[in-house]
Amino acid sequence: MEEEAETEEQQRFSYQQRLKAAIHYTVGCLCEEVALDKEMQFSKQTIAAISELTFRQCENFAKDLEMFARHAKRTTINTEDVKLLARRSNSLLKYITDKSEEIAQINLERKAQKKKKSEDGGKNSREPAEAGVVESEN
Amino acid sequence: MEGVGAGAGFRKELVSRLLHLHFKDDKTKVSGDALQLMAELLKIFVVEAAVRGVRQARAEDTLRVDVDQLEKVLPQLLLDF
Repeated sequence: MEEEAETEEQQRFSYQQRLKAAIHYTVGCLCEEVALDKEMQFSKQTIAAISELTFRQCENFAKDLEMFARHAKRTTINTEDVKLLARRSNSLLKYITDKSEEIAQINLERKAQKKKKSEDGGKNSREPAEAGVVESEN
Repeated sequence: MEGVGAGAGFRKELVSRLLHLHFKDDKTKVSGDALQLMAELLKIFVVEAAVRGVRQARAEDTLRVDVDQLEKVLPQLLLDF
């Protein structure tokens, strides 16, 4: 039994490491863009530090989001919960609120396009799957 | 955020996995829109850290952003988020 518990611990650890690596990659890309834009380089340690920071911050975000949703008696976290996360800085809140409307608008247009396609298609009455389906429309 | 528009970003799946890692309740889910918004939030978090680091490096007249500069902008960054 002890061995099993250890493997579970190890599995969780290596899973976290993989997630951290994925974060590190994205952070590297984002910092590269900033470096080009501002004409200033970042040390590798800085990029690693920002990655670690982001991973830790996700823990806070996740727990807060779960609490917000539960407070509203929901099990599904929605955009209102995310907006609550951004409450500490006015400019951040504004940016996130604007983005939220932008995302809602884009998704609304997508759904309208899909609906139009299936209406034009006629025979095909299959319901399109929810978010998570990668669209390859050109 | 001028130069950092439609470039890199956090993938929805990564964001989903990161959040689910820390949920206490198995039943907790995240809507697609919320995931997209979280991806944006994380992107801003990283870009803010980077840009503030640059600002600090410029103020100190150093050639690049090292951990020393990052440390100085960290407190305010965390307070803003």
